[in-house]
Amino acid sequence: MKVLIIGAGVSGLFIAYELLKRGVGEITIVDAKTPGSGASLRNVACFRSSFTSPEHVILMKESIKKWLEIRDSWGVGIHQNGYIWVARKNETIDVFKKLSQFHNSYGVPTRIIGKDELKEKEPYMNIDIVEGALYDPTAGKMNLMEVFTELYLRVKKMGAKIIPYTPIEKLVVSGGRVKSAISPRGQLDADVFIVAAAEGSKKILESIGVDVPIEPVPRHPIVTEAYSEIIKAGLVIDWDTPGSPHITQTSHGSIILARDVKDEPWIPLNSQRFDAIYKIVKPLSELYPALRYINITRYWMGYYDMTPDHHPIYGPVHPFENLYIAAGFSGHGLMMAPMTGVVIANWVVDGKPGIEVAENLTLERFKTGKLVKELAVIG
Amino acid sequence: MDREKVTIICRCNDVTLEDILKAIESGIDDFELLRKKLKIGFGPCQGRGCLVIAARLFARKTGRNLGEIISNYTFRPPLVPIPVKYFTRGGEK
Repeated sequence: MKVLIIGAGVSGLFIAYELLKRGVGEITIVDAKTPGSGASLRNVACFRSSFTSPEHVILMKESIKKWLEIRDSWGVGIHQNGYIWVARKNETIDVFKKLSQFHNSYGVPTRIIGKDELKEKEPYMNIDIVEGALYDPTAGKMNLMEVFTELYLRVKKMGAKIIPYTPIEKLVVSGGRVKSAISPRGQLDADVFIVAAAEGSKKILESIGVDVPIEPVPRHPIVTEAYSEIIKAGLVIDWDTPGSPHITQTSHGSIILARDVKDEPWIPLNSQRFDAIYKIVKPLSELYPALRYINITRYWMGYYDMTPDHHPIYGPVHPFENLYIAAGFSGHGLMMAPMTGVVIANWVVDGKPGIEVAENLTLERFKTGKLVKELAVIG
Repeated sequence: MDREKVTIICRCNDVTLEDILKAIESGIDDFELLRKKLKIGFGPCQGRGCLVIAARLFARKTGRNLGEIISNYTFRPPLVPIPVKYFTRGGEK
């Protein structure tokens, strides 16, 4: 079986990895630019399962299991050192209690921590301005560059052909099946087509009359020079400040700071905002006063490929028999990627995802109106 | 060899000639991936000191076009590292 995967990001590579593990031999992955050049290598590289929809919680829990297996078998930097949502207002603790109850009912052991425990976990935090926090011990962060290159090398060694600089402009259909994909560099034929091209998936599927409701919304992270460990948790989130500023420290020592500064979809990734750095660093340097003396080295942009219900689009694309999609991760594509690989590979090989909630995430839901509800979209 | 161990290409992050040669040998055939894996240009210089040297080395070893390799790098603000404190006073919340 010849499989063409469109998009050599973390999702496309994990789909290839799982297909190869299932013995599907002939796999080609194309990318419009270079492997990982989209959101895969632009994000803050954290993971959690403490979401507020059963779909996300169940898939992310499985995903974290996979990440930990990968940590042990590949020997790459993946750290389960927790997420901390900080409350500046007392009434937020009540919101946290409700969230925690929901998480606990799905077996995610989040809990409220008081100021003393918070000080222990985050010694550099200015405890005077916070009331407490919600703590998720199963969440964490990873050395993304190391993990991604290891995945890339493994997929290549297992036999997949990865072709960069090959943007797919349209698909060609014949008799209810996709026959080939057309790029300026030529035509690619296959038996199965998998579109994992984030917001680029929209244009590709438009060419065969399929509407994919994805809108890429720019995010604006900044990064500092490298220092010894200042942020101990995987990710710390300032819940009570609009746009949920969040902060993490990479294994390299640099500190990544970001905040949702409200932006319009489709704005190009080279159109930086003059207010972004101010808005990001102000609340976070209240939380971590030591930040004030640290140098910012870079400010970049990347897309969250948002769907109307902030959940990914998975699975077969009707009415075509041999076409699948995995896109629209709404900011959670990296953390979910190992399960994306499993779910899509199962669909291709067995005709079903092998994990029930994934069936709620097909493209059909936008036609039938059965959208999934997710309340907290943060890092 | 010894010369490769002591020849530093990226001074911010102490990436040596040996590190780069080994990474290329391991199968990394994309310059942006090489750069990201080894953190070349991730330091205070943001590539001003090392990018062209590393790219030229990569082009020579892989037979790729130098212009194409370099064109994938995006220069981003700030031009020089700036302390966070310059952004914390005044302005809106």
